[in-house]
Order: sequence, then structure tokens, then C-alpha cells
Amino acid sequence: MSIMEYNGGSVIAMVGKECVAIASDLRLGNQALGISSNFQKIFPVTDRIYLGLPGLATDVTTLQELFRFRVNMYTIKEEREIQPETFAHLVSSTLYERRFGPYFIEPVIAGLSQTPSGGFKPFIAATDLIGCLNFAKDFVVAGTASSKLFGVAEGLWEPDLEPEDLFETISQTLMNAVDRDAYSGWGCVVHVITKDKIITRTLKGRMD
Amino acid sequence: MANAGGGAYSFSLTTFSPSGKLVQIEHALAAVSQGTTSLGIKASNGIVIATEKKSSSILIDDSMVDKVAVVCPNIGIVYSGMGPDFRVLIARARKSAQAYWKIYGEYPPTRVLTQELATIMQKATQSGGVRPYGVSLLVAGWDITRGPSLYQVDPSGSFWAWKASAIGKNMVNAKTFLEKRYNDDISLEDAIHTALLTLKEGFEGQMTEKTIEIGVVTVPTIEELEQGKIGGETGRPTPTFRKLTEEEVRDYLAL
Amino acid sequence: MNTFASRFSSTSAGAELSKAKAIAMEDDDFSDASWGSEAGYGSLAKGVPTFSIPSVADPTAFLRLHTDDSSDPNCRIKIQHGTTTLAFRFKGGVIVAVDSRATAGSYVASGTVKKVIEINPYLLGTMAGGAADCQYWETYLGIHCRLHELRNRERISVSAASKYLSNLVYGYKGMGLSMGTMICGWDKTGPAIFYVDSDGTRLKGDLFSVGSGSTFAYGVLDQGYHWDLSDEEAQELGRRSIYAAGHRDAFSGNTCNLYHVKEDGWKFIGNYDVSKMHYEGPGDVPGSAGVAYGYDIRVEGRSSADS
Repeated sequence: MSIMEYNGGSVIAMVGKECVAIASDLRLGNQALGISSNFQKIFPVTDRIYLGLPGLATDVTTLQELFRFRVNMYTIKEEREIQPETFAHLVSSTLYERRFGPYFIEPVIAGLSQTPSGGFKPFIAATDLIGCLNFAKDFVVAGTASSKLFGVAEGLWEPDLEPEDLFETISQTLMNAVDRDAYSGWGCVVHVITKDKIITRTLKGRMD
Repeated sequence: MANAGGGAYSFSLTTFSPSGKLVQIEHALAAVSQGTTSLGIKASNGIVIATEKKSSSILIDDSMVDKVAVVCPNIGIVYSGMGPDFRVLIARARKSAQAYWKIYGEYPPTRVLTQELATIMQKATQSGGVRPYGVSLLVAGWDITRGPSLYQVDPSGSFWAWKASAIGKNMVNAKTFLEKRYNDDISLEDAIHTALLTLKEGFEGQMTEKTIEIGVVTVPTIEELEQGKIGGETGRPTPTFRKLTEEEVRDYLAL
Repeated sequence: MNTFASRFSSTSAGAELSKAKAIAMEDDDFSDASWGSEAGYGSLAKGVPTFSIPSVADPTAFLRLHTDDSSDPNCRIKIQHGTTTLAFRFKGGVIVAVDSRATAGSYVASGTVKKVIEINPYLLGTMAGGAADCQYWETYLGIHCRLHELRNRERISVSAASKYLSNLVYGYKGMGLSMGTMICGWDKTGPAIFYVDSDGTRLKGDLFSVGSGSTFAYGVLDQGYHWDLSDEEAQELGRRSIYAAGHRDAFSGNTCNLYHVKEDGWKFIGNYDVSKMHYEGPGDVPGSAGVAYGYDIRVEGRSSADS
């Protein structure tokens, strides 16, 4: 049994028109046994960056604290907010520090990066458990339902979706994918990041 | 036990004198003020840092002497004081810039690198068995958050941002000169000329492309930035700091 | 052996008897495998003796190597293990309830599997372990139960039927068969349940639950079970137990199929969505309190965790 399947859970992020969305399931399991239906795997990093941490639950908590520490130190030292690209590199280098004893986490990063002219550009990325960065223009997936998420997202995603349409697309993708995964599900949470607000919704999913 | 200069307290670097001074640091500043003059001027669209480079002998191949150093594509440093100490600090600065790049995938902002150097220099004022660095630095760089910035770092480890500053032998005169000449709307071209004029004030001997070193920071346009910070086919950031070539220096001197 | 000539060559009484025996024997002698599509039901009397078995020195070891995924997770033949099935006996008969999820690894291969096998109008078998093994052998068992009826002019007892199955799978012990089944029905003795598995275990009992979700089902079942349950209460208990397993166990869920066996045979009660039971309850059915089963739904706003 894979250690990534010990607690279960999945995360997906998608790019829209001047917005990004990130969503995860809410299950925390102990192998086949479901423990919690309110286990958050997505955390805000800044007002415009969210980080999803599917994988081993103990490492979810540890890494969330570690990134909070490192981002706080960055913000204080540099007197500026970290940008998604920079944060993605921070995630990557933090994970590679443990190349020979890794955290069992496959992070997903979603955010809006500030452009030199003052606008915002959607940004999503994912890494493997030792920090190999994967920048994508459409969507990234991770967790026990990743193969199912790939399939559904490949079918549903289209470019330049407005925030509400992106919300619908990512929700349908996640809900349908986790219903085909034994280790994911038990409800979902979706965040849509736009330049002036964050839409967060908790969805009722199948409870079996 | 007491000797000339600082008295009993000059032995231990880390012991305050009764008047509250660390005399070794003052001696280090004295070493700096014996060094050749360097200066930096922040212009509306860039920064210039310049220094004179004089050889003690005509037999020295001065093309090998570098007093303006590139730390990373967006930051350069000039110094006054002890050359070997500067060399060590530059090695540390470059290493620090690369370490930052390794973590964040981009080069450090000027302030962060300056802070790093100031920390290294401060450590040399509080550790056993070492002496302070005998240099003052002028750090010039550009970054996305603060734009062009010019910092001075002293042997004590303190640092400030300047619009224009001078360090070394002629610093007092040079600063007075800069105060008269400086205005906020000065262009980079004008700043380079002002820099040369300021150096000329206290210059001993002939000012040539061999005896002057200049580094400039150029501010990228929004269009250049929108194209992406990755500089085309090399995959490296387009440099915002560069040293002027001997030909360019010659051209400026000719004007 | 039984050529047309030799069968009718003798006319003595003893010979007549042996002739009758031989004919009867022939019926019992048909192949285990060939009653299926190739041979058809019409030629039950003849066929290849048994399944073809790997032609290696030790077929049992060979099959264990390729089918036993507890000792080798990379084995080539995957058998689905996740399931919840339960059956219990009470004064009103037997309740049989199962989930409908089929998984292959972590993949939910189906959510609409029929895990109750309707052997005949009086007998039900449940499916846990290898789906194909259960389906095949319990259908096969159905044929034998019918033959028993024809031969003996009375229905087979649950005990006999389950023993037939038990002896059958025991013959293949160690060759990778995987079944954990409950044979449920009503015979002369009243309601009866026998647990039969591929190891050869055969147990008589009042209450069983089988599969990866069985512990969760037992939790609800043990707490709510007693002999004098009304029909409605018993059905609700079965439904509620399968819900509990479907909710907690990753490899069980989707829907619950509920059966009730009474003196006049079994009756399908209904199909209930596990998620719907969680959020809304089983709907307007006898025995239901009309409230959602889900814990967090029932305690919403009443727990310190919700503040």
C-alpha cells in the first residue's frame, strides 16, 4: 500500500480568464477507514496565492506550518508580498531539501501574479514530492484521484472561463473524479481567486 | 601594555572603550578614507557608480584590476579601502546571490543583498579573532519592487540608501560637489558626466579609460518587463547592471 | 462405459437396478464447468470432467503466486475485496442487505453491482470476495438445488444447499477461489443463515456480516439486534447498518440493496442511495424515522465543533 494512499485526498487547480481556481476534497482517512469529513488541504499563502497539499496528513500540517514560517520570514525580510512564481520555487527548493527522506506531499499552487504594468496574470503549478516543478497553462492535479481528475479535466476544461463558469467546471471535475476514487471524497471545498475577491464554497459531495 | 592610537582598548576588537566606542571600527574607517575615491549617483532612469583606479607602478597590468564588480545580473558594487577585503566580500555576495536564486528562482533585490553584506560585515565587529573589513561599499542595483537603489555599507555593518554618495580619500569634497550638482530629475547620461567631473576634482594624474571604472544600472521599460523576465534564448534574466567597456569610458571622457 | 448395447444387455432384476443407478449416476457425473455457454443446459449429462488446471508440478503454489494479492500485491489476477454484506435471522424471517460498490485497487469500478444472488425463490446468496467466483458457483448451486427438488419432490434445506457449496469450493482449496458468502433462506426449520467461505468454513448463525465494511455494519447491527424485531424495524436495521459501512469504509458504498426472506420466499425491498441516506434518510419507507442518517447532519448547529 502506497504511503500517498494512507490518508487519501486530492487537489486540482485550473486557470480561467483573469482568475484561477483551486479545489480539494475534505476526506481524511486511515487507509479504508474514513476519519474526518472536514480535513482542509488548501491553505491561503497570501491574498492572491493558495497552496494545496494532498498526501500524508501529518506532512500536510507540518508543511503548512513550514511554508507559513518561510513566507512570513520572506515578507518581513523583503518587505513585500511573495509572488506565485517565487513561491513555487520556494516550495520546490524546500521539498528538494529532503530529497532522500521526502515529505509525502504533492503540492499544488494557484495564484494571481502581478504584472509589471500593474495587472494580474493567472498562475498555477504543481510539484512532485521532491519538488520537480510543473507549470501548466490549463490545469494541474494531485492526490489519490489524480488519474481520474486528469481524465475529467481533459474533457471539461476550456480556455478563458469567467470566474462563475470556472467554479462550475472545477467543481464538476472534482466531484465526478473523486466519486471514482475510494480514498477521496466526503465533501469538497472550492476557492476561486479573482483580482478583487476570493470566492470560497464548500460543496456537499457523496458521503461513501 | 598601552600603545599608540587607541590605548588599552584597541587590542580587543569586541571591547568598548569607556567613551562607548569600538576603536577598531574607527581604525577601519580610517583605512577606508585612505582608499581611492568611489562614488555613486542615482539618476531618474538609472544609477552610475564610478571609481578611480590607480596603479602604484606602471608595470602593473591594470586591465586585471577590477574595482567595480558584478554580483548578479541586477546588482554591482564599488568600494573604497582594502582590495583583498573587497575581494572576499564580493565572493560572499556572489555566493549569497546564487543561494537566493537557488531558493526563489530569481536574484535578490538590492536591499536584501545589501543587508546580507552588512550582516557579514557586522559579524566581523563582534566575533573573536577577526578584524573588521577595511572597506566601504556602494551597492547599486535594480529590482521590481524598489526599482533602482543605491546603498552604502560601512565597516561597522551599518548601511543607508543614498541619492548620491562618495567614499574614500576625497569623500568630503566629493560629497560637497555632489550636493551642489545633484537634482532629482538628472538623467543617467548627465549622472555619468557628473560622476566623472566629481572624480576629476581630486584626481591625481591623468583620467583615462585605464584609470576610471564605471558601472551603470539601467531601468527596464514596462514593455521589456512584460516580455518576461527571462531573457530570450539564454534563459537568463536580462542584466540591468553592467560595467562600461574601456571604449565607452573613453567616449564619455572625450565629451 | 454406458454404451447403448451394454445398458440393455441384461434383463435380471439386479441388472435393472444397476441400470437405474447407472442412469442416475450419469446425471450426477456431469462436468462442473460445461453447464455454461458451450455445453448448454441440454447436455448436462455429458461433458469434460473438470476445469483445466495449470499444467505445472504444483498448481496450488502456481495459482497462489498469481492470484494471492495479500502475499504479492503485484500478482496478475486481481480480485475485488472491498464489500459490505450482512444477513440476520429474526422472528419475521431473514434480512439480507448489501452495498453495491466494486473496486479495483483504489478505482471505483462500479457503483451498481448486484451483490445478492437470487439462487431460487427461497434462497439468497451474498457476494463478497471474487465477484466472478460468487456469481458462478452460486448460480451453479441454484442448478443443484433445482435438481434436488426434482429428485426428491421437496425443496432443499438451507443447510444442505450451503453444505453443497462448501464441499464444492473446498475441492478447489488453495487454488485462488475467493468467496465469503451467506446462504440465506427459509426451509422446514424456519429462517436459516449459513456462512460459507472459500477456505471451507461453514457456519450456522443468527447474524453475519462479511467484507471490508463488516466491522462498521456489526457496530450498528449488534447494537440494534434482537430476535423480536418487527419486519419494519429489521429492515431499517439492515439499511442503517449498510449505510454505516458505506459511509466509513472506502471500499463500500454507493447503494444498499435490501431483501427480506419470509416463509413464502424472498422479497426485494428496495435500493437506497448511501449519500441520500446520509443527507436525507432513506425516504418514505416502513421503519424509517424520516431523518438523515449522517452524524454531522443530525448534530448540525448542536455541537461545539460547529461554532
